[in-house]
Amino acid sequence: MKNKAYIFSWIAQLIAVVIMGQTLFFKFTGHPETIAIFEEKLNMPGGQYVIGIAELIACILLLIPTSVAYGALLGAGLMTGAIIGHITHIGWEGNHLTLGIMAIITLVSCISVLIIRRSELPFIKSALKEQ
Amino acid sequence: MIGKLSIDLHKLAKFTNLAIPILAILFFVAGLKVSFYFHFLTVTFLFLTIINFFYLKVQTTHSVLRNFGVLGQGRYMLESIGPELRQYLFANDTEEKPFNRTERAEVYRKAKNIDSASSFGSQFEFDSSEIKIRHSMFPISKDKLIPYRLTFGEERGVANSYTITKPFMISAMSYGALGERAVRSFARGAKMAGIPMNTGEGGYPKYHLDEGCDLIFQMGTAKFGVRNEDGTLNDDKLQELAQKDSIKMVEIKFSQGAKPGKGGLLPKEKITDEIAELRGVPKDRDVISPSSHAECKDIESTVAFIDHVQKATELPVGIKLCVGRPQQFEELVLEMKRQNVFPDWITVDGAEGGTGAAPKAFIDRVGMPLFPALKSVNDILAKNEVRNRLKLLASGKLVAPGRQMVAFCLGADAIYSARGFMLSLGCIQALQCGNNTCPVGITTHDPVLQHGINIDAKAPRIANYVHNLEHDLEELLASAGCRSVKELTFDHLFVPSESTLYPFIQSN
Repeated sequence: MKNKAYIFSWIAQLIAVVIMGQTLFFKFTGHPETIAIFEEKLNMPGGQYVIGIAELIACILLLIPTSVAYGALLGAGLMTGAIIGHITHIGWEGNHLTLGIMAIITLVSCISVLIIRRSELPFIKSALKEQ
Repeated sequence: MIGKLSIDLHKLAKFTNLAIPILAILFFVAGLKVSFYFHFLTVTFLFLTIINFFYLKVQTTHSVLRNFGVLGQGRYMLESIGPELRQYLFANDTEEKPFNRTERAEVYRKAKNIDSASSFGSQFEFDSSEIKIRHSMFPISKDKLIPYRLTFGEERGVANSYTITKPFMISAMSYGALGERAVRSFARGAKMAGIPMNTGEGGYPKYHLDEGCDLIFQMGTAKFGVRNEDGTLNDDKLQELAQKDSIKMVEIKFSQGAKPGKGGLLPKEKITDEIAELRGVPKDRDVISPSSHAECKDIESTVAFIDHVQKATELPVGIKLCVGRPQQFEELVLEMKRQNVFPDWITVDGAEGGTGAAPKAFIDRVGMPLFPALKSVNDILAKNEVRNRLKLLASGKLVAPGRQMVAFCLGADAIYSARGFMLSLGCIQALQCGNNTCPVGITTHDPVLQHGINIDAKAPRIANYVHNLEHDLEELLASAGCRSVKELTFDHLFVPSESTLYPFIQSN
């Protein structure tokens, strides 16, 4: 049972890493559409680098066995921010819909990982241990 | 009215629990109106709100978290680093247990070959319970000292008798309790220092043998390495072991100071595949040795068992025990006289002795402390006129020359120490021995933690420690006006009325 859960966790981790990872290419090369989102819609000039670096760290943490839970926490936080961005500033038209859905898929993956690996989370595990 | 400034932690926690979701909303609004960067804080506080809800309303195990929420974690966080904070910052130099900073520092200095002179005055209490050594008005010069020499097995005329030339030996620590690198460091250091090392009851020695030092094979109650399926002794295996060049003596462990009346304990966290194989035990549960040897049902069979092992191994064979009742020990001695069978030595382990893992009640409350136990044993042997039939070894917190000297005055012929050598190897008294998480890599099998030990760098520290102990012992002997430890007697001790040895003064 535990092994199955871990296999599921690794599938979710890989989904999150692939989705976040492929956007890094656009963020770091300064793709016009990405710059448009960050500068015009969100009013965060250069924000693609800040978010991109945070996502890169999340991807790395998600792939190192001892830090998966931390990577999922960071990933979930970033994707929550992304979804807030879609709701309040970016909207869901055309290409933005695809991006928004990918953010939701990544968030769901990260939360799945957090639930499976809840016993590895620093602030939660002590409360779970004796239950 | 003037209000006093004070912190009500419960009110503070209630305020925090309310503030967290409010702040999450405020940051959301700021993210909407001011800058999207505020959403970093929105997300952080949103997550904190969720965790706090879990603490306050969902989980049921921690009362502090149910009442205080995230702030309650502050208690657990600080508590978890409490031992470190106390050791680094707040604990007095003489108040830590089992070894205070002064005692540890003395061993570290000896191991690193740094001069251990102290300044201004002693940190000890002079008016209460500390035993002192009586010096002579006419100390002798050190060149008059007789070189130390002790031969085990000479009383019985054992062909393979064994002689030590330094009165120190590395006490029993098993491979299992110790990691591989620690075992190798001790063994290599023992060879450099020219002292023997006890293998502990950890089964067939492996890494000890690689380093080529003299070994005392310890046979615990479970007889790891030399047992039959039913827990009795397998003579063939014992004989095979006894024929190895490195194995000089065999010690039968009846009880241990840290847990007398109970067998050895190795927590399952520390059982690797290799240890399971060497001991012949399963991996998935704690290994608990029986509380006594299968062969030893009463005093008569116990003495017969000693005889059996002596005949089977043709080596010096000793016993190790922690004294509970001196009368019971006397019965054992009388039976030894009746059968005319004596072990070649008796190790008296004080209840203050160390361990990798033992039940707390046993560590704290069971067994006689070393000094009164050693004195009782020596007196009983002398009273029955058999003191010259065997050697007497002492163990139990004998890491520094002061206590070692007291043990010699009480009748010990040589000193066993385990923790003294662990400290030499870099032990910081983190008290993690049973958890496989030793921060300096001594009592762990985790290769990452064992990386902390460089055997080539650490083995010489064992030798330095022995060398400096020997130096201090010689100085103390000279100041007492004695040429060897054999000349030390109970009269060389000043025993204050609060001491556990005081009753012996009165009976003398």
